[in-house]
Amino acid sequence: MDTGRPEDRLALIELIDRDGRVRRTLDVHAWPVSLGRALDNTLVLDDPHVAPHHATLAPDADGLLQLQVGASRNGVQVGPRRLPAGTQAPLAEASALLQLGGQRLRVRLAGAPVAPELPLARPVAVGRALWAMLAAWVLVQAGHRWLRLDPGADFVEWLPWLLGLPTGLALWCGLWALGSKLFRHGFDFASHAAIALAWLLVWEVLDAVLPLAAAAAGWPLPWLAWRQWGLALITTLLLRAHLRQVLPQHPRAINLGLGLLLVAGIGVNGMLNLRHLGRVFNEPYMSALPPPALRLGGTVPVPALADDLPALHQALQQRAREAVLRDGDEDEPR
Amino acid sequence: MDFQQRAGQCSSAPPGVQAGAAYTGRVTATPRSTTHASPRRAERQPPWLAPALALAVLAWPATGHGADPSAAPAAASAAAMPLPAAQAPGPAASPASVSGTGQRIYADMQPRLLQVRTLLKTQDSQSSVGSAFLVTPEGHLITNYHVVSSYALAPQRHRLVYATVDGQQGALDLLAIDVVHDLALLKPADPAPLRGRGAVPFRPADAEPERGARIFSLGNPLDVGFAVTEGAYNGLAERHYLPTLFFGGSLSAGMSGGPALDSQGRLVGVNVAARRDGEQVSFLVPGALAQALLARGRNAKPITQPVHAEIERQLLAHQDGLVARFVGQPWRAAGHPRYRIPVPQENFSRCWGSGAPAGTRGVVFERSDCTMDSAVFIDERLRTGAISVRHETYDGSRIGALRFQQRYTASFDNEHMGGPDGHRVAAQCTERTVAAGGGLPMRAVVCLQAYKKLPALVDLTVLTTSLDGETTGVQGRLDALGLSLDSARLLTRHYLEGFGWTPAAPKTGSR
Repeated sequence: MDTGRPEDRLALIELIDRDGRVRRTLDVHAWPVSLGRALDNTLVLDDPHVAPHHATLAPDADGLLQLQVGASRNGVQVGPRRLPAGTQAPLAEASALLQLGGQRLRVRLAGAPVAPELPLARPVAVGRALWAMLAAWVLVQAGHRWLRLDPGADFVEWLPWLLGLPTGLALWCGLWALGSKLFRHGFDFASHAAIALAWLLVWEVLDAVLPLAAAAAGWPLPWLAWRQWGLALITTLLLRAHLRQVLPQHPRAINLGLGLLLVAGIGVNGMLNLRHLGRVFNEPYMSALPPPALRLGGTVPVPALADDLPALHQALQQRAREAVLRDGDEDEPR
Repeated sequence: MDFQQRAGQCSSAPPGVQAGAAYTGRVTATPRSTTHASPRRAERQPPWLAPALALAVLAWPATGHGADPSAAPAAASAAAMPLPAAQAPGPAASPASVSGTGQRIYADMQPRLLQVRTLLKTQDSQSSVGSAFLVTPEGHLITNYHVVSSYALAPQRHRLVYATVDGQQGALDLLAIDVVHDLALLKPADPAPLRGRGAVPFRPADAEPERGARIFSLGNPLDVGFAVTEGAYNGLAERHYLPTLFFGGSLSAGMSGGPALDSQGRLVGVNVAARRDGEQVSFLVPGALAQALLARGRNAKPITQPVHAEIERQLLAHQDGLVARFVGQPWRAAGHPRYRIPVPQENFSRCWGSGAPAGTRGVVFERSDCTMDSAVFIDERLRTGAISVRHETYDGSRIGALRFQQRYTASFDNEHMGGPDGHRVAAQCTERTVAAGGGLPMRAVVCLQAYKKLPALVDLTVLTTSLDGETTGVQGRLDALGLSLDSARLLTRHYLEGFGWTPAAPKTGSR
């Protein structure tokens, strides 16, 4: 029955698999088209949740394609709507998505506009750029290790880093590549490696620059915020990039989910701190110190600092009063 | 500030305190400021003789056991031997028969010796026990504040009862407290059963016992039974801000509040605390303070409301005096070639030093911890009043500026500021870069912590670090607990202005 000429094609019915790919197509040259498990149907759907004569597609007098649901227990899902047995509904859209039992079908009508071609997803970095990022990251890590080791340290002290970090990175990228394999049928190790390295480098740069800048200027606030939420922010961005590589068809869901998670996490963390500690940040003070050459902020005389204390004391007393109220009238100290 | 062992800072209790915990069960906490001062050292605040039953005491080895196999059985049999049969208690016991004096004192004093129990009102079970003694014929009793602290802080939930050696029992009223010196004045609700028992006489203030004189401490250790222990009078404990007598004998939990008497049965002091990291290092509150409390409170009305306001008043007066004296004396020099570093005088604080091992390849540091023995017991979980000062100097010339910066910052980061607990809300801090003495640039963090029920008091922490050196620096921390805001400001200024350059400091580009 698929032997007609392409220009005589009235519609195309596509059977979609679980990954959203087309598994089978049926050229429609004549209406009606019947769907069901019985062998006399136009399209036979071998699914235990599909009735022998589940549904029929045929245009009405006005040429509008109508779906007639047959003697089916489960009915037909058209977009968000479920049609029970015996009902009829027009398929208005140019390409309607139907679900019969566990089978998903797309009906594309001749003459409907075709969506434009999508560009192929390109790997984030390939070849030289990838190797350059890897080299930069390894150098940074070696620098961290060098900084923490005293001069003349035994080479053994480098081993955990030299072995552990690349293994960890490879494992991380491997797991994401498996995700790609699962959803996109390609073990996309290089792309995930590029994503991970890019964000790790962003982290390293920001984590070096921001605390130093805050210390140099003597501004605790950016330092406190970065210390508390910087890692969460960069991790979220990293996850977003990996997820978009694995599930490119759901960018909005990914953005929404991760964004909500981040905002909720920051909000809950800040709120709990406010309740528990009376301040938003975990850390009570900025512990970054500027090297003498980078100390840009000026100094104040010692009494100016002592003069900050009354305001601090007032806030504390307020909190103490609230705490007493919260503890109730129980006088037993706990 | 110790950048090498972050975990060790707050968790590890010093060996002395652990031993004390095993002994008395409840006396585990030391003032916060000293908890992380120096985990290695046995030198600690004495644990209060809070009365709890921990029978670990029975397992404590007697000195000499096992050292000499032939001596061991003798010592054991001696220990097991009953006391010599009571001889006629001569009015003037010869110096040779010390135990005879002990017997006489116990015989004379046991009618005036009592056990004080704090009971939970709802279930009649003991929440703490201690000792007390009669100081007036009408039945006024002296004990330690810490024996009755549960009642003093929550009288609506507790009641106080006494038990005499001969088994009399009755209810007690709390008349007055001296929280700073850890004393309390009590009176029986019904004085009749205690009438006719006499009173423990006070020693005249001008007659100090001679050093090494035998004195006798009475009480009910660990609720086992009334007992007398003897030891040597050693005068005032050195470098204690609060006058404290050093008693060279054993005190156990439950003996708190009992009297320590001279050979004529006159009050020398009141049992209060013992060190668990030494042997026979115990402490007494001088009897004159008990006399003063009696004079002040003998006609007072019984306390029926929580005493927080009174505690606050006494602590404020005490701490303001302490701070005034503290800032009144000049800082001691630390002996650093570049920096002038504030180190407290040693007249009432103890300082301990430590440093990087010789031949280290890394940063060379020296550390000094000074703690003032002025902690005041408020309740089982709260000691306040202590002042501690510590500093670390760093020399990173062997490791270079970059590595030094990493160690130096990590050390500044590795500091704990008080979190919320049952008594206090979490610390709040303010920070600035200040010009200390001579313009030395220092990052300084000042944190305050407030008490929920003692609203006029704060705990102060000043943390500071010099910012002038590429490979050298000093970091300091001062903790002072239970201050008024004005004292906190005064101490902050005094401490930070104590830093500076020495006149001999090399005037390098960074200076």
